[in-house]
Amino acid sequence: MTERFADATGTSLVGGTERHAAQSLRALVIPVLAMGAVLALVPFWLGDSRVLMTVSILGLAFACYSIGFNLIFGSTGQLFLCVGALAGIGGYGAAIFADTVGLPVIVSILLATLASSLTGGLLSWIAVRRSLGVIFTGIVTLIFALAFQNLLLGLGDLTGGESGFLIESGADSFLTSRIPAFYLMLGLVLVFMVVHGLLRRSHVGWAFRALRDDEVAAELAGVHVARYRVYAALVGAGMLGMTGGLYALTQGRVSPTTYGFAEVDVVVIVMLAFGGIGSLFGPILGAVTFTAINELLVDLGHLRLVPYGALVIVLFLWIPRGVIPTIRDRLRQRRRQRS
Amino acid sequence: MTAIILDGIVLGLQFGLLAAGLTLVYGLGGVLNLAYGQIAVLSAMAVLLTMDAGVPVFAAVGIGLVTGGLIGLIFDQTILRPIYRRQGEARVLLSLLLTLGVAFVVDGFLTWRYPFAGLSLQIGGGPIDLLGVPMRRGSIVGSVVILVVFGLLFAFFRGTTLGRAVRSVIEDEEGARLVGIDPSLMLRIILVFSGVLAAVVALTQSMIRPVTVTAGFSITVLALIVTVVGGLGSVSGAFLAGLILGVINTLATSYIGTFLSLIILLVAAAVTILIRPSGLLGVKE
Repeated sequence: MTERFADATGTSLVGGTERHAAQSLRALVIPVLAMGAVLALVPFWLGDSRVLMTVSILGLAFACYSIGFNLIFGSTGQLFLCVGALAGIGGYGAAIFADTVGLPVIVSILLATLASSLTGGLLSWIAVRRSLGVIFTGIVTLIFALAFQNLLLGLGDLTGGESGFLIESGADSFLTSRIPAFYLMLGLVLVFMVVHGLLRRSHVGWAFRALRDDEVAAELAGVHVARYRVYAALVGAGMLGMTGGLYALTQGRVSPTTYGFAEVDVVVIVMLAFGGIGSLFGPILGAVTFTAINELLVDLGHLRLVPYGALVIVLFLWIPRGVIPTIRDRLRQRRRQRS
Repeated sequence: MTAIILDGIVLGLQFGLLAAGLTLVYGLGGVLNLAYGQIAVLSAMAVLLTMDAGVPVFAAVGIGLVTGGLIGLIFDQTILRPIYRRQGEARVLLSLLLTLGVAFVVDGFLTWRYPFAGLSLQIGGGPIDLLGVPMRRGSIVGSVVILVVFGLLFAFFRGTTLGRAVRSVIEDEEGARLVGIDPSLMLRIILVFSGVLAAVVALTQSMIRPVTVTAGFSITVLALIVTVVGGLGSVSGAFLAGLILGVINTLATSYIGTFLSLIILLVAAAVTILIRPSGLLGVKE
């Protein structure tokens, strides 16, 4: 298709890209909505069980976390090991603004999202300014995540320390009943996917791909690498913060383990690496799969980590690039063989 | 003040040793082993189980060291094979994910099988006076052991042909291959070393406080931070970074309080990385 357009004259080429853009918008929204429709059936299946619905809501929250992390790491190669901490800024921020300060719930969530977004942007700016590589960005953000956990424990008067605290705002609203909360989180997943998809299709997406494939070449071609990295971190961290805040309100409580490194970051990395780093649907596939696996193995207690870890090893040996890119490549290969 | 500095040095030596095993493997193979803490815990459990079976302490300690080395060898022969086939950042990332999987398996099994186990080696006898400060005997013995281990490491790297061969691979793998050094053999040796070092970490820590089954993850994270501050691939950097961070930590604990001390430690680490991204004694890439 593109080859044919390349042969055509300039004007038809422009017309072609416009048509292509319109098609690709439809090509983005339709699969996202279709996936949303399938996931929307989950409450009809599991709606009677409060426990399973809570698990599903957590699964959707993880899908959102994975999308945010995918935007930061998958699109611009910044290994942020502070997914939990950024979500925690959203969660604790929303809870403190709403309960302690007494702001309306929506304002609190927006403020907390802003705080998380700015923190992510700042971390990215520091990493870009000091031109830290993947591993060093990882370590600095990991250090930030550990410091954040420690602050939560230390500032016990504000955060409730080890046991966390119950959020009173919104406790009687629809947020704490399971089925509306499920649809709220599902809506968030779909919005994030569309935002991510649109970003990929815009000039921002081209810049992301260029700087991820070859940073020096991108810089030489006029891509402002530093600026796009910070953009990605601002948007991605905002997503993480908003998810953390909304999730906290649907649970009615926050605690340090809700946003712990082992509880959030490790899981998100595994989910994303399984689904496919950089792909649009990878985060959702990973989140659904690993939430289901985790739930199926829940009776094993601590022993559950054994098959979980073994699965991680086998999956990464077998499909190191993740399920969705691997399938896409296989399909493309087969199409090429046929033609 | 002397007491605080001395405590800081005891802690710093522990930090330094933690980082040594991790930094060697990273420097040589570009592999980030996130199951490092789990190797330490497995060795500790081996000592605990053999001691419970009635084996004398010294033999049990020997078994712990052998266990660490064996696990290192097993790592090299199994999980690291596919990792070696990759290059650069893809290698680091895959090693991170695969060893994380191993860490899950080990942690899951140990916390299920021995949920409350913890190794603590009691060193008998009263405190020893050092520069007028009474120090716990366990701290002194542990620190001496660590100093001896570091001495052996330095002697190995500077004084022996094998050690120099290993260093040449760290500096230039291709060049080393050209002069007839087998990099994969050096890697195998270093992984065994790293496993033994993890076992020594567990043993010396257990002289001061118990090493529990769940300690693996925190050992790895701490080792990672010290490693990066010291400079990836540099044993002397690990030693220096460990001492500095240890002293900072105890100073902060006694003057400011425990809650902020870890944050100060973390900030100190972050600042070092930001000022010198290659670490204190790391080689600029």
